[in-house]
Amino acid sequence: MNVAAPDFDRSRKDAPPAPVLSILNYSLAYATERGPVDALKAIDLKIEKGETHGLVGESGSGKSSMAWSIMRYLPANAIEQAGAIRLAGEELLQCSQRDMADIRGQRISMVFQDPSTSLNPAMRLGDQVSEVLVAHRGLSRAEALEEAQAALARTGIARPADMLRRYPHEVSGGEKQRVVIATAFACAPQLIIFDEPTTALDVLTAHQILDLFNRLRDETQVSALYISHDLGLVSRVADTVSVLHKGTIVERGDIGEVFRSPRDAYTKRLIEAVPDPDRWIGADLPTETSPLLSLDEVGVRYTPVSFLDRWLGSDDGDENVFWGAKDVSLGIRKGELLGIVGESGSGKSTIAKVLSGLQDFTGALDFEGSRITARKQITRDYRRKVQIVFQHPDASLNPRQTVATILSRPLKLYGIVPRSGIAERIRQLLELVRLPADYANRLPHQLSGGEKQRVAIARAFAAEPDLVICDEITSALDVSVQATVAELLVKLQRETGAACIFITHDLNLIRQLAHRIAVMQRGRLVDLFDRADAMADDRHPYTKALLNAVPVLSSETSDSERLTP
Amino acid sequence: MTSGYLLRRLASIVLVLAIVTFAVFAITTILPGNAAVMILGQYATPDAVKALELQLHLDQPWYVQYLDWVGGAVRGDFGMSLRLSLPVSQVVGQAFVNSLVLAGTALVLVTVVAIPLGALTAVKRGGIADLLLSIFSYLGTALPEFVTATLLLVIFAAPDNGIFPAGGYVAPWVDPAAFVAHVALPAVTLGLVLMAHISRQVRSEMSEVLNSDFVRAARLKGLRERRVIWRHALPNSLAPAVAVISLDIGYLLGGIIVVEEIFAWPGLGRLLIYALENRDLPVIQAVTLLLAAVYALSNFVSDIVIAALDPRVRHA
Amino acid sequence: MRRTAIAPNAVIAILLLALIATVAIAGPWVAPYDPQAFFPMVRLQGPSAAHWLGTDEYGRDLLSRILNGAPETVLFGLFATVFGVGIGALIGVTAGVLGGWADNAIMRVLDGLLAVPDLLFTLLIVTVLGAGMGHAMLAVAIVFAPGMARIARSSVLSVRTRDYVRAAVARGESGAYVVMREVLPNALSPIIVESTIRVSFAIMIGATLGFLGLGAQPPSTEWGLMVSQGRQYMFSNPWCVAVPGISIALAALGFNLAGDALRDSLDPRGSRR
Repeated sequence: MNVAAPDFDRSRKDAPPAPVLSILNYSLAYATERGPVDALKAIDLKIEKGETHGLVGESGSGKSSMAWSIMRYLPANAIEQAGAIRLAGEELLQCSQRDMADIRGQRISMVFQDPSTSLNPAMRLGDQVSEVLVAHRGLSRAEALEEAQAALARTGIARPADMLRRYPHEVSGGEKQRVVIATAFACAPQLIIFDEPTTALDVLTAHQILDLFNRLRDETQVSALYISHDLGLVSRVADTVSVLHKGTIVERGDIGEVFRSPRDAYTKRLIEAVPDPDRWIGADLPTETSPLLSLDEVGVRYTPVSFLDRWLGSDDGDENVFWGAKDVSLGIRKGELLGIVGESGSGKSTIAKVLSGLQDFTGALDFEGSRITARKQITRDYRRKVQIVFQHPDASLNPRQTVATILSRPLKLYGIVPRSGIAERIRQLLELVRLPADYANRLPHQLSGGEKQRVAIARAFAAEPDLVICDEITSALDVSVQATVAELLVKLQRETGAACIFITHDLNLIRQLAHRIAVMQRGRLVDLFDRADAMADDRHPYTKALLNAVPVLSSETSDSERLTP
Repeated sequence: MTSGYLLRRLASIVLVLAIVTFAVFAITTILPGNAAVMILGQYATPDAVKALELQLHLDQPWYVQYLDWVGGAVRGDFGMSLRLSLPVSQVVGQAFVNSLVLAGTALVLVTVVAIPLGALTAVKRGGIADLLLSIFSYLGTALPEFVTATLLLVIFAAPDNGIFPAGGYVAPWVDPAAFVAHVALPAVTLGLVLMAHISRQVRSEMSEVLNSDFVRAARLKGLRERRVIWRHALPNSLAPAVAVISLDIGYLLGGIIVVEEIFAWPGLGRLLIYALENRDLPVIQAVTLLLAAVYALSNFVSDIVIAALDPRVRHA
Repeated sequence: MRRTAIAPNAVIAILLLALIATVAIAGPWVAPYDPQAFFPMVRLQGPSAAHWLGTDEYGRDLLSRILNGAPETVLFGLFATVFGVGIGALIGVTAGVLGGWADNAIMRVLDGLLAVPDLLFTLLIVTVLGAGMGHAMLAVAIVFAPGMARIARSSVLSVRTRDYVRAAVARGESGAYVVMREVLPNALSPIIVESTIRVSFAIMIGATLGFLGLGAQPPSTEWGLMVSQGRQYMFSNPWCVAVPGISIALAALGFNLAGDALRDSLDPRGSRR
């Protein structure tokens, strides 16, 4: 199929336009040792020309399977039971692999979630874009590279000629994703499938990519299937939406309608679980303003390795000392929930490590009248009163210990209850985090992600702390589970009066929970404000940029609601 | 890959060799009591022992002995062979060349067979070829060289109807045909273990690469499978394969000792056995240093090759 | 998908290991003949009804000799590996736990020792100590130690950075507790897998030493020694070398497969997306 230049209008020349993509009563299952497992059940889906259709679902909903089915890239144990998938009227299920190879990249292309893993690390970026042009449009390599450069320019890359010669590891996540998008658009496809393209990116970068998507979509009128777990995001890009729950589409329709008046119970739950910054679910504002714990110009210096190591070649001899955090001064009040937000590399996790006594630091911590200037000085009493909960539920519990053992450790270590009272206290803790009592005998791998996080939270509160540090504890969880965990945390805070530092990159969530919010950028604290002042004009420009970039679930997103940067 | 990095790697190699030579020195000279007695045996006369001690400078403190030796080694002078009354460097030098020929042949064989075999079975999974490779690779890693050598001799080198000669060496530049006949069995023996190990590693690496996200992305771009394999999968599988080969060279260097002994190939391995049996200390020390240096250098070379193959390493 | 590859391996491994264990423990008692008994009338014969695996140059029953030599050959591998792992793991765990310059110094020395190929190193030590099974075992243990140390260390290092270990440190648990109860139980699996595979190497090295005359000494019926003795007559009766040779391979194979099966079961790779 040799087409000289991208021609997105060609379908207009045909007679009655069939929908670009139509899926009719499609079902898919996977053969496993336990028998066939359903992945998709009786899916009906239509995408017209120029339409962006959002497919929303949590993990395990089958949304990725949908993408593979359309691309006809299913594993050997896939069983297609019924239905049809048609591209502009052509039945894809009948296509041979050879035919599909022609269609892929040329008539349907795909943008993947993680640009770091979906690009070939050993091939220059220019070659990775141009090879589709060579394969599908019969261009010579030189012509294809020229065309590739133009495609990169269209996606907003600053120096496209440079970019052609670079390798993936030399460029940023945002730039890589633009390259992937450029490749997807290169042959002027009829349909592009976007599989969570911004999940692996930082908030600000994701915002730019979404803007890029909207612009390119408007320019080319391509049809798109936008798969995501993030409702707020989908509301910004899609025209219509289908909600996928355990392999079935439970709701579909125009995006505004679905979000304004959802009909299905799951959809309602999903919408409710999306953090709405105007809906306050946090604890009452604490009355005391004197700080429980403060940081005084705390910094973390990742020192260069020892002389011997450098001499023997263990590092690159980098003279630049890297500061994980610099000059951070902050106070946490009793009973307060302080949010710390920032993108990756902002230093927020570094501060968490300093506060929990895991990291050497410069500067000082003031706690209960004593001044701590080095990690060594941190006492066991401090460690009892300041607890930490980590991000990844799989990694924060010892896989070889039962829940009971895990919860008993802080009890024994700090002597919270006498030996005889341990079993009872464990029962109480499980009840506190709303887990059944018999979970005490389970091993971590027998629990779900959300349940593991609750055990980790129970472990932290078992010590009866004054301060609990939550380091991105909801980031690795599904949306609906996130909401439950956040609510649980607030409940515990209310009941125990503990203060909490909640570290996250999710601005919407933190505005629901925190009394005050601190913003970090590249290791420094750039802003600190009360919740109510989030939208005020005297916010730091970076704060404003972040607030602007975060998609808010809204039936009408008007530009006037956005902050001017 | 900066010059700084290269220099540091070389410095690291020098340090490693220093440790190796010191260890060898310690084992053979310093440790159990008297090296001279060890050499001459229990029944040596005190006079003979004394004479040998003087000859070997064993009366000097150990650090002087060590520095003496290192000084000489750097100049290429490893002393005189105790049994052969020839300069060690001459004896070892010749043996080294012969071993190089054998090891080189084995390595070529391994590379030419194992890598394509591994790649092929990774691409066409399941089926007879896969099963045969599995069996071959497991047997290969379970057969010590002396068993393989002996079995090959039995099958192929029987005195009356053998295809190959049972041993000996003919230089390739003297008589190529005879060389091939003489090198065939030893090279196969040496290479068998490596072939088994490497083909298995290549297969597993390549399988992993074939399942990776970027290969999937390449296929979903509609590229022909041939391009996917040659331009996307293979280049990313080669770097780990090279790493494995360089580690296995250590194994090769051990195997060469036994193989040369059995096939009467006049290389470093055979020389070492002879030296060990006859307690020819200077030769033992020189050969050990040489083998360790070869190993260290091969690791260094493989690092460079890996950097050439994997751009991420290059810029690290 | 991966299932089909694992099951047969594990089954074969278990069967082989069972066979090896039986033979290694009960071998000498089950042998039909005295391994040293001569039967000159039937010397250098292949398998027959009376002598299932044939006879050697003196007419000695090969099957009996194999069974008799089994404990030596196999247990050599086990004990040498256990000693080597013991020493090595101790060093490696210490290095991994201590970190800092101590860790660095230890690793440099280990790197140096690892630069010497295994067999070569073993030969050197045995030459100095003198021939014999005991010395050979010690030599193999010493040679294995650096490699095991490295594996132990890297395992400890990777576990040390896991969140649950960090949680324990943040709690203020004592160093001993962290190492013994949080780190070690989770760091053991790579060490166990490697040890099992090393047993197969140890068996092969032991047999090689026996072959070279530096390990077992006559009148032992250690399998490597049997191959070396059988070489003289290998063209008259290949069974003299084939029988011990293949036995060695089977023993090594058993442990090799067992190590692989252990690795697959203890360390499953995460599911692909």
